[in-house]
Amino acid sequence: MSKIDSPVAGVLMQYEVKVGDAVTEGQEVALMESMKMEIPILAEVSGTVSKLCCDPGASVAEGATIIELG
Amino acid sequence: MSWQDTLDELEHRKAIARQMGGPDKVKRQHDFGKLTVRERIDRLLDAGSFREIGSACGTGRYDAAGRLTDFTPANNVIGRGSIDGRPVAVYGDDFTVRGGAADGSVKEKHNHTEKMAAGLRIPLIRLIEGNGGGGSVKSIEKQGYANLPGSFASSYYTALRMLNTVPVVTMALGSVAGRGAARLCASHYSLMVKDQSQIFIGGPALVAKLGQTQGKTYSKEELGGATIHARNGTVDDVVASEAEAFERTRRFLSYLPRSAHELPPRHSTGDDPARREEKLLAIIPKDSRKVYAMRAIMEAVADQGSFFEIGKLWGRSIITGLARMDGWPVAIIGGDPYHYAGSWTRTSCEKLIRFVSLAQTFHLPVVHLVDCPGFPIGLDAEKESTIRVAMRAMSAINLSTVPWCSILIRNVFGVAGSGHRPTSGYTTRYGWPSLKSGSLPFEGGIEVGYKADIEAAADPEAKMQEIRERLERLRSPLRTAESFALEEMIDPRDTRSYLCDFANVAQACLEPGEARNFYHP
Repeated sequence: MSKIDSPVAGVLMQYEVKVGDAVTEGQEVALMESMKMEIPILAEVSGTVSKLCCDPGASVAEGATIIELG
Repeated sequence: MSWQDTLDELEHRKAIARQMGGPDKVKRQHDFGKLTVRERIDRLLDAGSFREIGSACGTGRYDAAGRLTDFTPANNVIGRGSIDGRPVAVYGDDFTVRGGAADGSVKEKHNHTEKMAAGLRIPLIRLIEGNGGGGSVKSIEKQGYANLPGSFASSYYTALRMLNTVPVVTMALGSVAGRGAARLCASHYSLMVKDQSQIFIGGPALVAKLGQTQGKTYSKEELGGATIHARNGTVDDVVASEAEAFERTRRFLSYLPRSAHELPPRHSTGDDPARREEKLLAIIPKDSRKVYAMRAIMEAVADQGSFFEIGKLWGRSIITGLARMDGWPVAIIGGDPYHYAGSWTRTSCEKLIRFVSLAQTFHLPVVHLVDCPGFPIGLDAEKESTIRVAMRAMSAINLSTVPWCSILIRNVFGVAGSGHRPTSGYTTRYGWPSLKSGSLPFEGGIEVGYKADIEAAADPEAKMQEIRERLERLRSPLRTAESFALEEMIDPRDTRSYLCDFANVAQACLEPGEARNFYHP
């Protein structure tokens, strides 16, 4: 199982994918707010989304897993 | 009577040495998907250029009559060869001989290679696998006494001092521990291969016995794989294969002089120095909350295909790399809005220190594409002592004497923003129309700076909006240029032309020679 971690600490604004979606490396999968900016989170690996790990609006630490891929 | 018999015996020993650890061990190396040390050297260097030194070095066993009965080659191979026709020194661990572990002749071959590189003023390339000639507890029985670390024979002086003299590249090509890991880090550029290389101070077996989490057994990958060390800056880059590691090594060296006693070599790429990039006019979003791709700007302004990023996975709010401008090698730095908006984190400060030191050591003019909103403030930043490491970065920048050209692209705020150039002398500086600057960003800064006015207002929200609009009008970069605080605003599309002009005019300011004790890996 691979996963997508947040490269920055911030607030998860929204997911751009849902469970079951296929994602490819480089695809935008979520939007974070950090340093007053909207920062797209790009997938570093390809796979199928099996779990969205955070609730939109939640604070997310750097390195925290935000998406699990099946 | 000739010396042919001795030469025949020498050739016999060399032939054994070329077998390395023997067919079984070589097969085992291949089964793990790894090349042998001799294959590595052959693929790294120009074809046929390798001149081995110590080719008959090893441990012989003799019968009662003094005839050689067995010969085990030293578990490292060293020599000199060339890359793109330029000489280099090479050191390689041979994992097929006793797993690359300690051996009587190992340390001297190490030291010899380092002294050769420094003495001949040629780059050093290390191919490390194992513990790099470090000792083990068993050394006590072999020697009859306990090692005293720091003796001349195992000195780190040469390895560290030479970083001021010649380019040093080290590749971790398997598990690398202890002394091997230390030598990996005593480099200007280091690489590891994904899923093949792991780096430890002490490996899993030692950690299970002595680590802070006693009893916990980590896999090699968990303890020292690329997910750990390519993200914390222990290595600069992670690659998919040994072939890619060799290719990146060759590429890295192509931007650097043979030693600090020479200047970086120019290679014409045929790219027009006045090439205009239309896309740069709109690449920075007017909405300050939106990001853009700094790497696309770097690619666009450098000679086509010349941007070579270093350290992509660590200190990610700062992008660093080598590139060419009108053929001249430059060190290029840029803030990455995708990571903390390009602000200076602790690790990005460490990356800056390392990179600016490289530029200073090898006389590379620095091009800085500036987008820095300051520091990522908060408890984490305080716990990491970001400000103290930032001062070390500021020190590396301000004490550098190579020419800088800073292009102010978007945010330039606060202490970190002031690190966009050395302030010791003249710096070439241009600003884009998207420039925003100040001591503090308006976000948060207005509430703090105008606290009393806002609290006293009947409608605090409206008051804040009124203040924001007033300040926004004053913040226009046209006013900054009007006051000459920004010396020159340029059309972003012409940035390449300005940078190529800088690279050309900067050449007369580059002075070959060693910076004494400047480089700290």
